[in-house]
Amino acid sequence: MDTVGLENFLIVGGILFVCGVVCMAIKRNAIGVLMGVELVLNGANLNFVAFSRYTKLGLDGQVLALFVIVLAAAEAAIALAIALNFYNNHLTIDVDRADELQG
Amino acid sequence: MDPKTGETLAKLLTAAWLLPLLGFAVEIFAGYLWSRRSKAAAYLAVGCIVGAFLCSASALYLYRQLPTIPVVHHEASHQHGKAGHDETKPVHGEGTVVAKEEEHHTDPAPRMHSFSGTHYVLAKFSNLKISIDWYIDSLTIVMFAMVTLIASCIHVFAMGYMSEELTEEYEDHQVHTSHGHFSRPGRFYKFFAFLSLFCFSMLGLVLAGNIFLVFVFWELVGVCSYFLIGFYIERKSASTAANKAFIMNRVGDFGFLIGLMIIWTSFGTFQFATRTEADGQKQLGLFDMVRGADGKLDLQDEPGKKAVLLTDDHDHPLLAADGTRRSIPYILLIGAGLGVFAGCVGKSAQFPLQTWLPDAMEGPTPVSALVHSATMVAAGVYLAGRFYPMFVPEVQLVIAYVGAITLFVAATIAIVATDIKRVLAYSTISQLGYMMLAIGLGGWAAGLFHLITHAFFKSLMFLCSGSVIYGCHHVQEMPQMGGLRKKMPITAYTMLIGVIAICGLAIPGVDVFFGGVAAKLGLPASFQNVMSEKWAFSGYHSKDAIVATAMTYAQLNPLHALLFILPLAGAGITAFYMFRLWFYTFAGKPRDQHVYDHAHESPWLMTAPLILLAAFAAFCACGGEKGFLFTMLLGSEPAHVADGLAAGATSKLALPSHHQIHDNHATAGFYALVVAAVGTFTAYLFYGARQFKLNPSEVQSRFPWLYTFLAEKWRFDDLYDVMFVKPVHIVARWCAATDRLVFDGILHGACRIGIVVSHWDRLFDENIVDGLVNWVSNVTYGAGSSFRYLQTGRLRQYVMFIVVGVVLVGGFGLFWLMLRIRPS
Amino acid sequence: MTQHLYLLSLIIFLPAIGAMLLLFFNRKAEEAMRYFALMVTAITFVLTLFLLPAFDSSKAGIQLAVSVPWIQSWNVNYQLGVDGINLPLVLLTSLISLLAMLASWSIQKEIRGYLILFLLLETGMLGVFLALDFFLFYVFWEVMLLPMYFLIGVWGGPRREYAAIKFFLYTLFGGVLMLIAVLMFYFNSTPTDTAKLQGHVAELAKKDAKDLTAAEAKTLPVLRGLYNVENAKASPRGSFDIIELQAIGQGLAAPFLGFNRTLQIVAFILLFIGFAIKVPVFPFHTWLPDAHVEAPTPISMILAGVLLKMGGYGIIRIAFPICPLGAQYAAFAMVLLGVWSIIYGAFAALAQTDFKRMVAYSSVSHMGYVLLGLAVWKLNENGTVGKEYWEMGINGAMFQMLGHGISSAGMFFMVGVIYDRVHHRDLNKFGGLMGLMPLYGGLAVGLFFAGLGLPGMCGFIGEVFTVISAWNYNKLLAIISATGVILTAGYILWAVQRVYLGPEYKGPHGEAITPINEREAMIGFTLLGLAIFFGVFPGLMFDLMGPSIKQLVDNMDAALTVSPEVLKTAVGG
Repeated sequence: MDTVGLENFLIVGGILFVCGVVCMAIKRNAIGVLMGVELVLNGANLNFVAFSRYTKLGLDGQVLALFVIVLAAAEAAIALAIALNFYNNHLTIDVDRADELQG
Repeated sequence: MDPKTGETLAKLLTAAWLLPLLGFAVEIFAGYLWSRRSKAAAYLAVGCIVGAFLCSASALYLYRQLPTIPVVHHEASHQHGKAGHDETKPVHGEGTVVAKEEEHHTDPAPRMHSFSGTHYVLAKFSNLKISIDWYIDSLTIVMFAMVTLIASCIHVFAMGYMSEELTEEYEDHQVHTSHGHFSRPGRFYKFFAFLSLFCFSMLGLVLAGNIFLVFVFWELVGVCSYFLIGFYIERKSASTAANKAFIMNRVGDFGFLIGLMIIWTSFGTFQFATRTEADGQKQLGLFDMVRGADGKLDLQDEPGKKAVLLTDDHDHPLLAADGTRRSIPYILLIGAGLGVFAGCVGKSAQFPLQTWLPDAMEGPTPVSALVHSATMVAAGVYLAGRFYPMFVPEVQLVIAYVGAITLFVAATIAIVATDIKRVLAYSTISQLGYMMLAIGLGGWAAGLFHLITHAFFKSLMFLCSGSVIYGCHHVQEMPQMGGLRKKMPITAYTMLIGVIAICGLAIPGVDVFFGGVAAKLGLPASFQNVMSEKWAFSGYHSKDAIVATAMTYAQLNPLHALLFILPLAGAGITAFYMFRLWFYTFAGKPRDQHVYDHAHESPWLMTAPLILLAAFAAFCACGGEKGFLFTMLLGSEPAHVADGLAAGATSKLALPSHHQIHDNHATAGFYALVVAAVGTFTAYLFYGARQFKLNPSEVQSRFPWLYTFLAEKWRFDDLYDVMFVKPVHIVARWCAATDRLVFDGILHGACRIGIVVSHWDRLFDENIVDGLVNWVSNVTYGAGSSFRYLQTGRLRQYVMFIVVGVVLVGGFGLFWLMLRIRPS
Repeated sequence: MTQHLYLLSLIIFLPAIGAMLLLFFNRKAEEAMRYFALMVTAITFVLTLFLLPAFDSSKAGIQLAVSVPWIQSWNVNYQLGVDGINLPLVLLTSLISLLAMLASWSIQKEIRGYLILFLLLETGMLGVFLALDFFLFYVFWEVMLLPMYFLIGVWGGPRREYAAIKFFLYTLFGGVLMLIAVLMFYFNSTPTDTAKLQGHVAELAKKDAKDLTAAEAKTLPVLRGLYNVENAKASPRGSFDIIELQAIGQGLAAPFLGFNRTLQIVAFILLFIGFAIKVPVFPFHTWLPDAHVEAPTPISMILAGVLLKMGGYGIIRIAFPICPLGAQYAAFAMVLLGVWSIIYGAFAALAQTDFKRMVAYSSVSHMGYVLLGLAVWKLNENGTVGKEYWEMGINGAMFQMLGHGISSAGMFFMVGVIYDRVHHRDLNKFGGLMGLMPLYGGLAVGLFFAGLGLPGMCGFIGEVFTVISAWNYNKLLAIISATGVILTAGYILWAVQRVYLGPEYKGPHGEAITPINEREAMIGFTLLGLAIFFGVFPGLMFDLMGPSIKQLVDNMDAALTVSPEVLKTAVGG
């Protein structure tokens, strides 16, 4: 077991992903939730890159990872903007208080 | 012979025919606009009818100038036929002169010419053609002269009789309204207008050259009669009588129409005489088709298929399209004859359609004189005579029996009638029965002879009765009269002439004496003829001829002896009731002093026509069977009459020949005279002589049932009411009810079903179809609103859902993969 | 052709144009509107008179024919023309419309609407009579229906809604049956073997006109119409052209196409019911008394004078010539229905107490003669028996239609005149009108006698000719139909007695009885004058109709005898 194989990456990616999901589930702070999202995204990115590296998919994985990074940046920008606005209106960023979209 | 004569005659008679129409047109419109007091309409009407008479008289004169057709013997006439001798010459394109050359009798009366032509075509369908034709022979001309003469007299008489109508306020005492008496503007002009229209129709009927046209004018005289009977339109009885007359005539016309159908379909023409058209095409007439030149029927006597073969005017057989000979089944010929005769029955008021004529006396008396005695009702007899060649012996037998029954029934009713006009009406029916009888028995000329003489004396008597009614201020019941001869002598004695004429009384023995004297003096033959006849008024001669024919017929066909007994008995009854009438009215003491006191003789305007008519009633038949009138009629007698018919030739019935009748003449005349004398004497005993004191009312009370039966006119009216009138109304009500209940019921039922069904449809639509749709939407909505609760808006919850979802999907996916992988 | 197109189109559409122009009148100018509408009908009448000099009455067949494509994809043409059969009816229509318009002065309610509907109705009626394209015919048929519905339903008597709906439903039902027949003809008039047909037509077209046999000469235009050889792109198609359909039905276009016996019988029955409702024939007649009783007087005149004639016209123009085999199949039933209508109508008339209802039933009776005359087509194994008697029957039937158009319009008008005054129609509550209104009484009695069939008046010729021609067909039925003369006399005379004769008026509103005015007298005199004129000179009309009817009879006879098999099935051997 001298080389670092695909499995290692996948395990790391899986841990990141689970951490992200748990973070999203338990954090009431919107920023925390955003961090969880970032963790999930990066977990997935890691998988993309790993698959790209260890299988014959070529550069597709890397390209997708780049897309995800860009997407995450954009998402973070919008999400922060929402959070900021929400804070401006409600003086809190507790996501449990933001239930105005309920059916 | 001048070929133009036919044209001239036609023009004269057409003028005579159309003049009254012109009169009518002017009178009816101008009269409406003019004053009610104006007599102008009457002058115009009289002018027209007198003009028509002058035309007819000149036609008669002209016709007499024509040479009679030379007697051609049988063989010769056949040769002529074969050689294609030109018997028909076209005249002026339209008219054709037809010379009858069929005569071959040993001692024949001279034949006379007949002419026919067309005015214009009514309709033409392929080779079928119906047109306005005219046909002129001596019968036409005599009828024209008679009708126009009598009509002229009656028009003049009516100017006096109807003068009460010359007012703005005519009070009709027979009419009662809810607010007392009734008055209306006078209708003097209308009366004359209708009289004119009637004259036009009647003359058209006589001039008509085809049977269809006869039918046309037949109906027109009917409607004129309707207007004139119903002249007093306010009187319910008058309008009912008018309706009755018209409808009963229509019943007869129904038969006439069937006759027309048979003729039209079997022969393809309605025309009487053969004629050459303008385009040179020959149009065969009915008579030539049915009868050969000798007047015999060409019978094809196969059992069960008896038929008459048709020939053309030269006795050449007519062929059908398939080459067989054209024929008409004998039974259809009988049907055609009976059909046309049914029309005559209606018009001439013969049994069983006689009941309308007595009721028709509701019309003013001049109308009764002109329409309901002299002319229109005689039209039936005229048509029977005109159509004679189409009658086969069986039809003639029916005609004879109808005539005999009619003359007897009517005569018996006349015995008990008390209304002066009704007595005369029944007498008219009875006399018409005589004429029909004569025609049926083969006494063609005798029947028509009686028609002419009867027209004169009956119109005379009606005018006399009119004069009485006028003089007595509209009293018509004889029991209120009596002794009137002192008050109105002219009326009384002219009436007596009529009565003697109708009874057929004569002075026996004088004829022998004067005949001898005339022969001794060497007077001209015509004078000798006149002198050697019986001294009698016209009725004697004509009735004598009929009785002689009846007697001969009864001898030839002993089975039908009744046809002699009834007319003979009728002659006696006639004499009885006519003298009863005269004695009742004019002789004896006044029965109602009030009526008597106010009675007066009529003005000269009314008595002058009486005198003129009396002269004709007395002398028109002068010379009897050798006289002018009879020979004139004989000239147009159908060719087969003179020879009679042997039994078995056409049917089992035999018809008398001239010769046979002549042999019986003296005997029959004697019988008739005796019976008439007995009748006269009986009447004298009952009503005339006072010393015998035979009381009519005693006889009445002795036979009450008979009296009632006769007084109720043999109860024909009740019978018809039960048999026809009521059933018709019931059926009519049924029909109306069927429409209302059945057809409308079906329709309404269908509509109701439609409405019920649509109601159900609505329920179905609203509950089931709409329900389904609503249910679907409700379910969808409900599902939506229940899912709504999933959307809590809590972010972290969503994440949990995602996680759980992913886990579940992943779990199931794995499970599924394991299932897939395991078997391999 | 062009001037004919304009003339015929103007005749049809002038009333409709007039109706549109009426919209521009001031609402209060009622008199002006009346006079304007009267002028329109008068001009229409004059225009129809212009047809007379243009028409050659010695020739059979369609004249002044015009045809303009209308709906090309369905082969529908705006096709008009006159012949001896429709010309008299066109004249009758425009005349009765004129007189009815003159009689419309008694209408007081909603004048503008009334006049507009009236004029539209006239357009519909004239269109029906002049159309020679079945589709066009159907369109006009329905166009005429709607104004009539409103005229009865709005301006009618107390039960007007009921009567209007009844009229509408009956006529529409008939129209639907007719539509089915139209479609049957359309879809069966397409040649089956187009290649052969094309060859045949080309071959015939090459021949010189005088070398053609009579049958070929008749066939060629028919086939050409269906398959246009000059235009190679044209393909065979179904036809609505009545004249073409007639030729096909009569077997002139055989062997390429023809309507077989079953088709003809089915189509004939459909058409017959459609037209019989209009005539009306027992048992489809009960709409008539109600419609008449409720309709205002002028509309009654039109209803009796013109609309009923459309039924007879439809039979003689469409049902008969297109389906000769069907006509022969149904001849006996038609004669039977005709005779039954005569007798039944007369009996029903006798029982009525409503004056107008009685006259309405007399129409049922009189139109029975039309059916009787049309159908007396007797046949044996050699062909038609007594063709000229059948020809006479059809002529008589046509004349009866004209005569009835005049006399019944007159009778309804006469009833209307008295109704306008006393507002009731109970026969038992009249009396004495002859004395109170002498001129009216005289005119009315004259017109009633015309209806009674008095010789010298128009009713007589039609009645007697049809009845006489019936003997050739069936003796018993002829005799039964002849009893009609007695019953007719019965109900007319009885009515005359109850209404006009007698000493005094027995009903309500006696004070309102005034002598008739000039306008009413003019209508009465015109109708009575015409009744007498045509009664005395029927030849004028027979000359006009004769050749066309003779051609019709010949063609139908030829259609039946074209093959022995057909004849055999027709005779039932």
